[in-house]
Amino acid sequence: MGTGSSAWEIASVFVGGLATLAIFSFLIKENGFYRFFEHLFIGIAAGLGPMLVVRDFLWPNIVEPMLGFSVRTYPDGTPVVPYQPLYLLYLIPMGFGCLYYFIYSKRHAWLAKIVIGFTLGTSGALAIRGFFSEAIPQVASSFKPLIVFEDGAFSIFASFNNLLFVLTLLLVLNYFLFTFGREGSAQGKIAPLGRPLLMVCFGAFFGSTVMARLALLVERVQFIVRDWVAAVGTIVGFG
Amino acid sequence: MGSRRIIYLIMLVAVAAPILLGISQRPSRLVSAERMYDVLEKVEVKPGEVAMVWMDFGPNTIAENEPQAMVMIEHLFRRRVPVVVLSQYQQAERFLSRVPQTVARQLEAEMPDQKWRYGEAWINVGYKPGAAIFMQSLVNAADLSKFLGRDVNGMPLSNYPNFAAIGGVERVKVVGEVTGLVGVFDTIIQFFQKKGYRPVIIHGCTSITIPEAYIFLDSGQLHGLLEGIAGAAWYSEVLKKFHPQSDNKRLLVTNTALSAAHLVIIGLIIVGNIMPFFTRWRSRGDR
Repeated sequence: MGTGSSAWEIASVFVGGLATLAIFSFLIKENGFYRFFEHLFIGIAAGLGPMLVVRDFLWPNIVEPMLGFSVRTYPDGTPVVPYQPLYLLYLIPMGFGCLYYFIYSKRHAWLAKIVIGFTLGTSGALAIRGFFSEAIPQVASSFKPLIVFEDGAFSIFASFNNLLFVLTLLLVLNYFLFTFGREGSAQGKIAPLGRPLLMVCFGAFFGSTVMARLALLVERVQFIVRDWVAAVGTIVGFG
Repeated sequence: MGSRRIIYLIMLVAVAAPILLGISQRPSRLVSAERMYDVLEKVEVKPGEVAMVWMDFGPNTIAENEPQAMVMIEHLFRRRVPVVVLSQYQQAERFLSRVPQTVARQLEAEMPDQKWRYGEAWINVGYKPGAAIFMQSLVNAADLSKFLGRDVNGMPLSNYPNFAAIGGVERVKVVGEVTGLVGVFDTIIQFFQKKGYRPVIIHGCTSITIPEAYIFLDSGQLHGLLEGIAGAAWYSEVLKKFHPQSDNKRLLVTNTALSAAHLVIIGLIIVGNIMPFFTRWRSRGDR
């Protein structure tokens, strides 16, 4: 925190540090201080979402143009761009979306089902499109050459990497192949080889999860030791 | 004091010591970060062309994602690439303004004769809800400036010469995605493209999502990757190599504190696995 920090900045750092210590106090034991800040955080996160949707999206993109608030005028009162009444067409999808609220009516709940059906259909279509644009390049990239030449010379390292990749891919895919009877078949005998490879993968995920959690701890300790202590120092008059 | 609390205390000391003493070690080399550096180094923008950086993170992953966003934006600013910052994540609001402002201040302190001003070097168009549907509309918009409309302060983009007429999505030369949220990242990979346009995507991920992000790096869907704090730390070292005035001390201390914590965990795992043998050996001796 710089020496020229505003009172508002100092106050926010002070409250932030207090909240951090409150949450960490859970490590000693469950307590009221912790619970207060936990609820405070949930409340803020819940309130922030709708506010941002209204401020950054609904108001500037829908309400303002629809009601003509976004029309700027020259000093003589003539509009720079005339009001566009076509924006009123937004009322159609908005009205359609509002049918969702009929879910609370026993008699008219079927109206909500139309919106739910529409949403499910749209989401399904988007998911299919998304899946193909994400997965196809990955499938294509899994066809790796097992013998790799780099600058005209055979690269043992790159070849080994690709061999390991292809072997892992095939063994793990085979591990999850449950369609055919495994007993006594070659596929069944090879299947257990996929398990240790999966365990390596889970180990990597676990290790990286631990690393992420520790990174959070480092950042918070850094914040407390540097910023918060400086803010407290400023408040009590040492800064 | 229970053994669990002793472990917490050891971890706290391990993390706090390098921070309090200002100990910093050189980070390990990360090729994925160097790939990203090369990508940004090659970006050439004509007037109207921009980079788009999505900061889809909140306080819960600030530790890793903020340093990544900082080094990414620092490099883009140094290269004078106009940056549009925005987010699909509500809680990113504060970072959308803080990160570019901090980077601009640092660069201006480093080079007092140069300026990085809001509206010239970057604009913040704020939080954009709608995920895949928004992304579809964005990539199909004829003019991104008109589609995005206004910045977070309510100013029309037409007021900022560098961002007044961006045109179609093809004019976005680099897409940066800094997030720890897999679903949000997927939205970029899946929908930030259209027929004839596949963007250059660079990504800053949290440690948890590194194994998953590697799949995209390997398949060529990502062109560069920052792996947690370590990725940001190495990137800052590469930046420092070419810009010696760049100050990355704090990031290196953070990375060192993380390494110290890792060493303690490895030590605890070893001790935890040896102790049962030791206890058994002692109980046999007592008999």
